[in-house]
Amino acid sequence: MDTKDKKHNFLKRIFNGRNAVISIPYLWLLLLFLFPFVIVLKISLAQPIIAMPPYTPLFSWGDSLWPKIQAGLDSYLFLFSDSLYIKAYLSSIKIATISTILTLIVGYAIAYSIARAPKRWRGILLMLVILPFWTSFLIRVYAWIGILKTEGLLNLALMTIGIIDKPLIIMNTDLAVYIGIVYSYLPFMILPLYANLEKMDMSLLEAAADLGCRPIKTFWSVTIPLSMPGIMAGCFLVFIPVVGEFVIPDLLGGTKTLMIGKVLWGEFFYNRDWPVASAVAIIMLLLLVVPIILYQKSQEKAMK
Amino acid sequence: MTDSSSTHPWQDPDQKPYIRIENVTKKFGDFTAIDNLSLDIYKSEFFSLLGPSGCGKTTLLRMLAGFENVTDGRILVDGEDMSDIPPHLRPINMMFQSYALFPHMTVEKNIAFGLKQDKLPDDVINQRVEEMLELVELTKFAKRKPNQLSGGQSQRVALARSLAKSPKLLLLDEPLGALDKRLREQTQFELMDIQEKLEVTFVIVTHDQEEAMTVSSRIGVMESGNLIQVATPTEIYEAPVNKDVADFIGDVNLLKGIYKGKDKEGTQLLSEDSNSIVYATQEVEAELEDTIWFAIRPEKLEISKRKPSNDINVLQGVIEDAEF
Repeated sequence: MDTKDKKHNFLKRIFNGRNAVISIPYLWLLLLFLFPFVIVLKISLAQPIIAMPPYTPLFSWGDSLWPKIQAGLDSYLFLFSDSLYIKAYLSSIKIATISTILTLIVGYAIAYSIARAPKRWRGILLMLVILPFWTSFLIRVYAWIGILKTEGLLNLALMTIGIIDKPLIIMNTDLAVYIGIVYSYLPFMILPLYANLEKMDMSLLEAAADLGCRPIKTFWSVTIPLSMPGIMAGCFLVFIPVVGEFVIPDLLGGTKTLMIGKVLWGEFFYNRDWPVASAVAIIMLLLLVVPIILYQKSQEKAMK
Repeated sequence: MTDSSSTHPWQDPDQKPYIRIENVTKKFGDFTAIDNLSLDIYKSEFFSLLGPSGCGKTTLLRMLAGFENVTDGRILVDGEDMSDIPPHLRPINMMFQSYALFPHMTVEKNIAFGLKQDKLPDDVINQRVEEMLELVELTKFAKRKPNQLSGGQSQRVALARSLAKSPKLLLLDEPLGALDKRLREQTQFELMDIQEKLEVTFVIVTHDQEEAMTVSSRIGVMESGNLIQVATPTEIYEAPVNKDVADFIGDVNLLKGIYKGKDKEGTQLLSEDSNSIVYATQEVEAELEDTIWFAIRPEKLEISKRKPSNDINVLQGVIEDAEF
C-alpha cells in the first residue's frame, strides 16, 4: 500500500503539466538536433562505397552472434592529410571574422541611429531592417549579382557619374562575398544591438557630459561598454552561421574563395564521399562549439 | 550690515549674483515649459526650486546644466553667458534624480570619472577619490559596483561623484526623492553640512516642501513655468504671496473674506464663515469690499474654554471632532 502510493506520487510528479510543457523544447532538441547529429557522426565513421546509401553500415552481422562494428577515423585522418581542408577552415574563420567586424561597424551605426531616432520613427525604421526578410534569401543574394557584375548597376552608375572609366571587378572576388555577407546578416546584428541600445539610460550619457566628458569619449567609455551584451550577441549570431555559409560564397565568390561550406557541398555532391563530408561537418561543429560556449558565458554574465 | 550681506546676499545691492537667469523662456513645440523667467542666485546659497510636478523646475535645472537649450533669454554663470557652452565644458556638476551611476564601473571609478576627464595625474585623482569617499563615509565600499549598493549608498556615491571636481555650482534634481523618510531627514542635514563645509552653491529641485523649508537659504516657488515667490523659508511660510503658495507650504486654514481696510490693529477682514472681523498682520493690495483669501497657520491658533482677555481675533466655536 505504502510503496504503491509512493510509486503513484512519483509517476504523478513526472507526468504533471509543468514537466510536460518543459519537456517540449527538450524533445524538439532531441529529435531535430541530437538525433540528426548522431546520424552524421555515424556516417563520418564509415567508409565510402558505391552503393545506396553510399557508405558502409555501422553494424554488420556475419556468422557470429554479436554484430561486428565497422567504424574508423579514416575520414578524419584524411581531412588532416590534405591541406585543402585546414586551409578551408582557416579561410572560413578569417572570412567570418572580417565580415563579423564589418557587420558590427555597419550594424552598430544603424542600431544606434534607430535607438536615438524619435520614438514614432523607431518602429518604422526597425520594420525597414526586417522587411527584406520577407523576400527569399536566395533571391536577395542573386540580386547582388545584378548589382556587382562587370556590366551591373554599380559599375554602370559609377561610370555614368564619371568616377571610374573602367568597370570595377567586384563580382567573383572575396569583396563580393563580404558585401553579400554583411548585407544578409545585418539584421542579426542590428536587432540585439537595438534591443540593448534602446533601453540604455540616457541620463548616463548626460552624467558623463556633465562630468566633462566629450561626446566621442562618452561613446567609447560609456555607450560601448554598456552595449557589450548586445555586441556579443550580434557578433556570435553573425559569426557562427557565416563560418558554415555556402550560398553567398558559391554565388558571389570566385574559384579562389575558399570556405568550408563550399568544400562540404563538393564532398557531398561531386565526390559523393558522405563519410568525409560528415567528418567536415563534425569538425566544423567542434570548431564552433568554442565560440558558442563563449557566447553562453557572455550571456550569463550579462544576466547577472 | 556685513553680517546680513553675507547671510542674505540678495538684500545687498553691491553683491553680484553668481547665476543670473535673464528672461528665460523654454518651449517644447507649442508647450511653454518656462515662461519669461528671471532669477538671481548668489554664491554659497542653498537655493531650492519648489513646485508641483510639471511646473518646469527640472527643465530650469537642465537648462543650467546645458542639457536643454534656452528658447529665449540667457543664463549667466559668474558673468559668463552659457548659451553656446555645451554641458561638458560648463563649470557645473549635477546630481541626477536617478543618480545615473555608471553600472559598469566601481564606486571609486565612478567618483574618479570626472577627474579623469581633466587629465589629472593618477595620484591626485586617487587622493581626491579617497577624500570624497571619506566625506560620504563610503571608504569600505570603494570596490563595489552600483548594483551592490543600497539606495542611500547610491545617493551618496552620486553626491561624491558630482562634488569630486569641486564645482562652484552643484545642481541637485530631487536628490532625496528615492530615499525613505528617515534616511531622507538624516541626509538633508548631511547635505547642509557638506554645502557649508565646501561653500558650494547648491541649486536643488524638489517637490517636497518640508525638504525645501529645512535645507534652503531661499526658495523659489514655481507654478506652470513661472516663479510665483522667491524668498527665505520663513518669509514664504509667514507671508505667502498668494493662496496657492500658502496652500502648498505647510498646513494651513484657508478662509475667504471681504477687505474692510486697515487701522492700527492691522488689516481688517470680514470673514465669510464666522461673519466677524478678523485682523491680519499682513498688508494686502486690494480695494475696499474686495473678496480676498486669508490663511491661519494651525500653530498660531489658541484654543481655550474661557474667553480670552483681548478683544480682537476672538471667535467662539464648538468642538465637533478631534483626532490625534
